[in-house]
Amino acid sequence: MMTASHPDLGSQLVNLCSMLLLLTAFAIVAQRRLSACVDLFAVQSIFLAVTAALVAFLTGIAHIYIAALLTIVIKAIIIPVILKRIIERLNVQREVSFIIGIPPSLLICGALVILAFWVTAPISRLGFLLTKDSLAIALAIVLIGFFMMIARKKAVTQIVGFLMMENGLFLGATAAAYGMPLIVELGVFFDVLVAALIIGVYTHRLQDTFDSVDTTKLTGLRE
Amino acid sequence: MGQVVDGLIFTAAQAIIVLLVSPFVVGLIRKIKARLQLRQGAGLLQPYSDLVKLLRKDAVVSSATSWLFTAAPYLIFVTTLAASLLVPVFLSRVPLHFAGDVITVVSLLTFGTFFLMLAGLDAGSAFGGMGSSREAIIFSLTEPAMILSIFAVGLTAGSTNVSTIVHQTAVTQGIITDPPPHLMALAALFIVTLAETGRVPVDNPATHLELTMIHEAMVLEYSGRHLALIEWASALKLLLFLTLLSNLFFPWGIATEPEPAWMLLALGAWAVKVSLLAALIAMFESMFAKLRLFRVTDLLGVAFILALLALVFFYVFRGA
Repeated sequence: MMTASHPDLGSQLVNLCSMLLLLTAFAIVAQRRLSACVDLFAVQSIFLAVTAALVAFLTGIAHIYIAALLTIVIKAIIIPVILKRIIERLNVQREVSFIIGIPPSLLICGALVILAFWVTAPISRLGFLLTKDSLAIALAIVLIGFFMMIARKKAVTQIVGFLMMENGLFLGATAAAYGMPLIVELGVFFDVLVAALIIGVYTHRLQDTFDSVDTTKLTGLRE
Repeated sequence: MGQVVDGLIFTAAQAIIVLLVSPFVVGLIRKIKARLQLRQGAGLLQPYSDLVKLLRKDAVVSSATSWLFTAAPYLIFVTTLAASLLVPVFLSRVPLHFAGDVITVVSLLTFGTFFLMLAGLDAGSAFGGMGSSREAIIFSLTEPAMILSIFAVGLTAGSTNVSTIVHQTAVTQGIITDPPPHLMALAALFIVTLAETGRVPVDNPATHLELTMIHEAMVLEYSGRHLALIEWASALKLLLFLTLLSNLFFPWGIATEPEPAWMLLALGAWAVKVSLLAALIAMFESMFAKLRLFRVTDLLGVAFILALLALVFFYVFRGA
């Protein structure tokens, strides 16, 4: 029963930071305003960068620092600015529209997190890594991001869900393997940036065609 | 024999401290809020003057009310005070720890809230009934989150007794002991605190606007010493929650042995932690707008899910 046997402080700090990521993921799910969603995503990215920097510091693997820096620049500054521009230009209603309402969404996300915990528990038991709880949290964030993409109608919230998934993947990579090779990480960052740009353009087209960024209207397209 | 006397002294000291400090916390939050809004604000001691003024005045009791209306303020005051004696303030094992665990604390608070709701209904005014019905919604949603979040911390300590939890956590360095479940429980309990003490995203303590008020609507019929007791009890409740937050999750500095010098130090540490939390609440009140009543369930849903996840996390990763 007792687990509080003075565990190593570094690994606890990593766990604390990754938990903050999960908390912001929940805040995003419970958020109704688009711009607040984007702000929360930026906050989540900052926590991600702090986690990565901590792992870099504790393991002495220098290239994770570069990844942390890129996370700040791309995910906490550039992408939120792009998304804010989209929101401003679209002049969208501030309310997010839902396929699934907030209270059921929260319950589903809770179930997803439990699923993630349950699935990763056997791996975490092996426990040779510094960051064994982070793996479960990373999977939980990926699932929540995926759920966001399914359960929201507006294109902007779907982008936020996609980016949140990416944050979860990055956390998982940092937690499970102390980061990927630098070249892969650079590629992923570039991919995410381009994806955000392309989805942004696509959102503008959507707005021009339908006067709305509600993606469910796409089913009404005819030749 | 000496232990019994010591226990009595510590209990009396804790009662006097919480009674005296609680109006100050209310004043502190108001002051910080006023400064954040670039107002001068009332003095820090204003709640004391209010209480003294109200205690001196006669209570006006409507002839339409039953005995419940006059009994309720005393019941609410006494149950809240009893609950705050079970929560460690400066000594990690309160002398009364044998008297009850976290379920007792919550049920004492529930008892007070229940009578407050009855009293709101008793006078038969429209506002009182409205306030009571709203309070019932919110209370039924916060209570599970509150119990679950304290249980989540209790699991690490291996007990449901608040004193034992605080003692164990103090010995093993607080939130750093096991961050993931503790952090979730902390977030949940903070939301519960905002809801239970009628703070901004849920209720606005500074207004009597009929569309939004909850706590104020229930106590609208009260005056004089009855009102003073109810206000004092809600200040006690606020202090109780802040103490719970600070000592469950950050029990740094709390005295684990009854030594005078250590206890004085612990009292100082407690004052600092409670003031910081009060400042945080004041910031929240200035940053966020009040939620629409039917949106409050979203916020409380987050609290419940987080508390539940903290428990599940513990069982999946730490249990067995």
